Amino acid sequence: MSTATTAARAPDDRTAALRALLDKRYRFIDRKWDIVFWVTAAFVVAAAVDITKLLFAGDWDFWTDWKDRQWWPIVTPFAVIIIPSALQYIQWLAWRMPTGATYTALCLAAASWIGRTMNWSWFGGFPINFVWPVSIIAAAIWLDWVLLKTKSFVLTSLIGGFGFALIMWFANATTMAPFLQAVDWMGLPITVADLQGIEYVRSQTPEYLRMIEHGSLRTFLGETQYVSLAFGGTLAIAGYWLGQFIGRMLAIWPIGRFIKRI
Amino acid sequence: MAQTTSSRPSVQRRHPPGERPDRPGRGPNDWLGGWRTLFVASALLAGSFIALRLYQQVFAWYNEAGLDAASPAFKKYWFTLFVGEVLLAGAITVGWWAWLVVSGRKLVDVPTSRREEIRRIAVFWGLVGATCVVLYFMASFFPNQDGVWHQTAVRDTALTPSHIVMFFWAFPLGITMTVGTYLYGRTRLPAVYGPDKGFPWSFFLLIAASVTEMMQVAMNEWGHSLWITEEIFAAPFHWPFVTYGWLASGIFALWAETLGRMLQIEEEMDADEPALETAPA
Repeated sequence: MSTATTAARAPDDRTAALRALLDKRYRFIDRKWDIVFWVTAAFVVAAAVDITKLLFAGDWDFWTDWKDRQWWPIVTPFAVIIIPSALQYIQWLAWRMPTGATYTALCLAAASWIGRTMNWSWFGGFPINFVWPVSIIAAAIWLDWVLLKTKSFVLTSLIGGFGFALIMWFANATTMAPFLQAVDWMGLPITVADLQGIEYVRSQTPEYLRMIEHGSLRTFLGETQYVSLAFGGTLAIAGYWLGQFIGRMLAIWPIGRFIKRI
Repeated sequence: MAQTTSSRPSVQRRHPPGERPDRPGRGPNDWLGGWRTLFVASALLAGSFIALRLYQQVFAWYNEAGLDAASPAFKKYWFTLFVGEVLLAGAITVGWWAWLVVSGRKLVDVPTSRREEIRRIAVFWGLVGATCVVLYFMASFFPNQDGVWHQTAVRDTALTPSHIVMFFWAFPLGITMTVGTYLYGRTRLPAVYGPDKGFPWSFFLLIAASVTEMMQVAMNEWGHSLWITEEIFAAPFHWPFVTYGWLASGIFALWAETLGRMLQIEEEMDADEPALETAPA
């Protein structure tokens, strides 16, 4: 590496201007505005990411017996990467902070656990170990880390998006593992998750045991998970760009733009 | 953001109509001053949602009044609540919007000091923050509650206990807050949202989010009357509800637009008092 690149560089005009803006002593702009922004934004971010998850992948997130190998690794990463991607764009553009996905993941965690505890458990009466929500915090940290290192949304979508789906599954597999243990039920081998599904009847369980997985994929034995994860990773890349559209066109583009005639 | 100058000498000011005199701790950006709107509005809205959630716990499940739409108990506890919610939400909405317009017209030709404009921006941010609280209950808290209700109790009416609270209290208040916040900005912050500028895209998206959400309720009930979709919560005809969460992204533009105005105000005041422009290194 040459001396020119390793030596400390003097700040350019743009950096100096931003530094002056940051160090400036303001009359009215203080930390209260920061606090209000970050706290109140958490509510709308939680709303956006949770409604996207609930209505695109809700069933696979509600119950342990729906957290299968075929659909859960596909629909859930696609649904839960959309808003983290949008926030990643917003926070990177505004502050050069690679924190948007993690911020969104924390908002989702809070909203999901409040929703599951106060509604699914306290209102519906389901045990929380049957209705626990997926966590995307580890996958979101990965997504932000890729953006930090590559400084490229294209590379983040390809590397980060694909890895997002893999990490999301592996990070939640630990939580899911106890519910995949085999039990004997009326002479039949089923999982603990299936037993929960049988024990707690829902309007979506018209038969005693709903088969979540379908088709010949189930005959692939050990390959089922990898086929699903590969497809889930590619869908997560698509979801990432859907989120970029939201961040760029619905959050940033409208700033200072007006409709002159209605 | 950078530090503020708390030790700045106070300046004698007159207070024209529409402006509030400063009291200790009640300045434009003090917690009990301009920010008070944030706490009061958020507490009132969140309090109403939590109270209704407790009502659901008691009168939907415990005394079973919410299980049979044909029962007298259902009419007593739930249809009455439905009518009360619609009337109250309508009255609050009409009253608040009318007050914003009528009082705002009186402020059109009144010169505004920079301190007062900062206070109004803080109030505006407070309304935006309260809107965020409503959006959370609309799109996360109550959809969870609605999901668990309809995954366990078969519906026999469009006005289920979960719908009565979510669709006919939380959703209308979403429109109340988004449109009301726009009216506040249009009448109190002319430098940002004055009529000469046109209609802001930021508010267009945010208001569209809350309005389309209400319209989707009609499609939702039609869909549920046509198909038995309780088996799948992520049913395709539920998907349009998601657009609400996405369109609400326009709320970020509101923060950026008003922050830009605050920086302008600081620059204008720097021009008047240049010695206070920069902090010591």
